[in-house]
Amino acid sequence: MLAQQLLNGLVVGAVYALFSLGLTLVFGMHRILNLAHGAVFMWGAFIGYFAVTLGGLPLWAAFIIAVIGAGMVSVALDLFVFRPLRRHQGDEFGTIVASIGANLILMQLAQQATNAQTLRFPFGIFPVVFFNLPGMRISLQQIVILAAVAVIVLGLLFFLFRTSLGSEARAVAVNEQTAMLLGVNPGKVYFASFFIAGMLAGAAGVILGIAFNSVTYVMGEAVMLQAFVVIVLGGLGSVLGAVLAGIVIGMIQTLTTAYISTELSDAVVFGLLFIVLLIRPNGFFSGIHTEYRVA
Amino acid sequence: MSFILTYRPLFDLICIYTVLAYSQYVALRAGLFSLATPGFASIGGYAGAILLKETSLGPVLSAIGAILCGVAAGLILSLPLARLRGAFQSIATIGFVQIMVSLALYAQPLTGGPLGMNAIPKVAGATVLVPILIVLAALLAVINRTGIGRAFDAIRQDYTVAMSLGISVSRYFRYAFALSGAIGALGGCLLAFNTYSIQPDVFGFPMLVLVIAAVILGGRSMVAGPLVGTAFLIILPELIRPLADARLLLQGLLLILVIIYLPQGIVDSLSHRWKLRRAGNGTRGAEGKGAHELPSA
Repeated sequence: MLAQQLLNGLVVGAVYALFSLGLTLVFGMHRILNLAHGAVFMWGAFIGYFAVTLGGLPLWAAFIIAVIGAGMVSVALDLFVFRPLRRHQGDEFGTIVASIGANLILMQLAQQATNAQTLRFPFGIFPVVFFNLPGMRISLQQIVILAAVAVIVLGLLFFLFRTSLGSEARAVAVNEQTAMLLGVNPGKVYFASFFIAGMLAGAAGVILGIAFNSVTYVMGEAVMLQAFVVIVLGGLGSVLGAVLAGIVIGMIQTLTTAYISTELSDAVVFGLLFIVLLIRPNGFFSGIHTEYRVA
Repeated sequence: MSFILTYRPLFDLICIYTVLAYSQYVALRAGLFSLATPGFASIGGYAGAILLKETSLGPVLSAIGAILCGVAAGLILSLPLARLRGAFQSIATIGFVQIMVSLALYAQPLTGGPLGMNAIPKVAGATVLVPILIVLAALLAVINRTGIGRAFDAIRQDYTVAMSLGISVSRYFRYAFALSGAIGALGGCLLAFNTYSIQPDVFGFPMLVLVIAAVILGGRSMVAGPLVGTAFLIILPELIRPLADARLLLQGLLLILVIIYLPQGIVDSLSHRWKLRRAGNGTRGAEGKGAHELPSA
């Protein structure tokens, strides 16, 4: 029972990690807390759903389209919201406010497109196969999710630390002005980081939409709240921190739901957030940024 | 006369949401990135309603009890958050709002769960709301002119400079949290005392968006700002009926456009322009000085 719950928590946590990575990446690099990230995630799930139902595409093709589509939604956010704000010397608070507005718009559009209904992927879109291990049962779906997350995270690490655009991105993260003096084009880096963040959110959206078999216009809200705890626990801007913290949060949430109460699992996770902020506000893994305190 | 009677509920709503917007305004004015107002309102609303219905304290003492609960919540929030930077405050306070919604849903015996609390006596009509709003606005205007207000201004504009001037940033953040908590709880309490019933989802994300949009739109430094912003946001969908369906869409669009193109808000921008013109009418030398003055109440 416990092993089974831990496995379920690991799978959910891996998806939380995927989602949180985009959030923490954009914050770490550009100091933008993108509160519309949950809406991008939701749009990824919608694009995947409509590619399957309206487009009649196989799941893998729908997944790729959803990932690219969510990446484009995220880039559009940067182009139409954050870039004009940067041009008008908007501050950190401005970006938070603007992203609240963008979140509202993206959610309202989705609500009106679907009449606020819960959409479900067609039954059997993913083969239902179970493997029995000692003490637990693992489904093919869970194995594929874990493998996909592992591949995506490794790909992200490769991009950040082994490609020239990745090192340009890290240079912008340290100091945008200095990076510009060294010949880095920040526009390109903004495009890349928002596109990658959107792709990560879209991937998480399709995976969660299939795993929980529910796609609604509010699905981003819940994940967003979990992701807040993940990025604070992992340290804002830290890739490895987001992955580990995502898994930890997924497990804690699954265990509280299984052993204590569903309604209280949010409160438990957020209680954790406040404890972390009280004792170790910079998270447990040092991020790209370490300045976090005012006094 | 019939016009006034028809729009009376709308007028009450503007008064109540302006009180809530003041809670958000105090936070923003002090440079806090707090979005906790709906959480404070939830505490105040439930505390006020429970005290009024279950005890014999009467409306005034119930409201005071609700405000004290709000102050306590603000001070507790300030323990981890008064020493942290912007984004962390936003994240944690959004979490706080969410916790309050789930607690209100969970604590069914006390709060009525998803159905909320009903049959709350209507003790706060317009004759109560308007004096409270006037007193509150006057109080905030006075605070703005004292050392606390000046410290808030300094912190908002640049907390590194504020610290170098010997202002204890975390102490003033604590004050701002407590004040925002008190006003937010008062707003929530008035909402409960005015609308007969409250449910957990009243104090969720839509309220958060409305109060922050009101303050951003109206202006973050003058006391008149939140009032103008709230009135605008509540009256506009009523005037143009087709807009009522797309109210949230409109709010989102307004938030983005205003923060990009009019970051000072309506009232602050107007007063800034007025000050510039007055400076222009005076001596030439005064013009440059006026241009660098930030509007403040």
